Amino acid sequence: MTTNYRAFAVGLLLCLSGSANSVDLVINRDIDYESLSRNTLRSIFSMRMTQWPNGKPIRVFVMGDKTSQHADFSKHVLGVFPHQLRRAWNRQIFSGMGQAPMKVNTEAEMLEQIENTPGAIGYLSEDNINERVRKLSVE
Amino acid sequence: MSVYGSSPLNKCWAIRLLALLLFSANGLSASQLDQLDGALQVHGFLTQAYVKTTENSFFGDSQDGSWDFRELGINSSYRFTPSTMASIQLLSRRAGEMYDGSLDLDYAQLDSTIYTADANRVGIIVGRYKNPFGLYNDTRDVAATRPGIFMPQAIYWDRVRNMVLSNDGAQLFGDLQVDEHRFSIRLIGGKTPIDENVEKSYLNPLLDPEMEQDGLTLGGRLLYEWDGGRFNLAYSSAQLTLDAETSLLPDGEVEIDYRVLSAQYNSGRWSLTLEYMQEPLNYSGFGGLMDAGDTTLDGYYLQGTYRLRDDLELFARYEESHYDKQDKRGEKTAQRLGLEAHNFYSRVSTLGLLWEVTEGLIVRSEFSQVDGTIFLSNLENPPPQMRSRNWNLFSLLVSYSF
Repeated sequence: MTTNYRAFAVGLLLCLSGSANSVDLVINRDIDYESLSRNTLRSIFSMRMTQWPNGKPIRVFVMGDKTSQHADFSKHVLGVFPHQLRRAWNRQIFSGMGQAPMKVNTEAEMLEQIENTPGAIGYLSEDNINERVRKLSVE
Repeated sequence: MSVYGSSPLNKCWAIRLLALLLFSANGLSASQLDQLDGALQVHGFLTQAYVKTTENSFFGDSQDGSWDFRELGINSSYRFTPSTMASIQLLSRRAGEMYDGSLDLDYAQLDSTIYTADANRVGIIVGRYKNPFGLYNDTRDVAATRPGIFMPQAIYWDRVRNMVLSNDGAQLFGDLQVDEHRFSIRLIGGKTPIDENVEKSYLNPLLDPEMEQDGLTLGGRLLYEWDGGRFNLAYSSAQLTLDAETSLLPDGEVEIDYRVLSAQYNSGRWSLTLEYMQEPLNYSGFGGLMDAGDTTLDGYYLQGTYRLRDDLELFARYEESHYDKQDKRGEKTAQRLGLEAHNFYSRVSTLGLLWEVTEGLIVRSEFSQVDGTIFLSNLENPPPQMRSRNWNLFSLLVSYSF
């Protein structure tokens, strides 16, 4: 558990100092953004914001709750734990108020989906990001 | 690829559903089915609990160990456009003698966002919708989202669950995000399904009460969230009037007011929740003794949760319920009605453990020490004179959701 705390603390520090995280936010190239605020991202990934300002549907892609990429993204970019995000989704799904994000099993699949799905948003490790998707910074 | 923990609906959804239940949704790849980009989704849950009490009956014949607490739900939603969604959920809930497990329409609603800009929106929901009361009412039957095996009875009574559960009508909603602050408002208006649990809780079961709602239930919830839900504050309220016929008394009416104040703090590993409920009851038309029985019920709980490991959570909860908020020990009410005081309050201390075995599969175990019998159902217990004041409750629950 100590290791977890340390990792979390280091992650937070990295985040606060504005350095790159181990996973970065990526979107489909047709969405014309360079950056998004953390509040907007939280609305998107908690599935409460369903459309881009141009009216196109937002398609959210995530990896499994227990993957290191998902944990990294949740904690360091959104600032919430995976179990908190899971509960937020469950509350929406089972009250009829919202829908679940789409799940991918690998980063290769994530890359493919973000590239080919209009309005897609997700995350990838720095090494796996290329010109097929648009990398976004978090304000 | 699959919709998270689920798979998009196609013609033969029953087979898909079966496949989902047989195989872990985690490993299921359904790319060949995904013609709709996740706009059409199916989700569900299966819960089975075991309940053992030292005295009294709670969720079945619990003194002998009860398996009569079971919840099965399946839902589907379809997003026509980013601002229009239809959703439906069927629920079978067996809860001792209170709910028999018959298949109910839990909700069936059409949700339309009229205005939207970033995270701000205004919209309307029509149909049967779950009431947004307190922090948990709208998903109270889903084991993965509620704060324990049983809902804190001080706020979320199971013996009158249907009265606060849902409405048939319309709901207006609005969300406003300003930096770290989010304000949400929900206004509800509709008809409330009334069942035997309600009839026999607000009037003496020996009177064979039958009730019908007069007018509409009106209410809503104001919710403030700070920093993505790190701190939440909410006020919920609803009013309804029930016309009642009994076998003995003149026809009368019961006016019910339900108010909940909620506060919650979430840090990464721990969270603290406090909810307080007040429910003024007004009886009229029944004559002397009944009409003089107006009271204001109240109750609260405080729950602290700590996440020991990524998959393990421990919680402690204390709750209190009172039949009359002026008479916390129930003594005055007891004197007036000629019953023992413990029938008019409950104090419960609970310790619980949650283990998230895999994505979607959870196991919970809880132990409660109870003083008082106020939240026991009249449908599954002998008359108040025969109920025991002090009792313990042990429960175990397994739930799978996808």
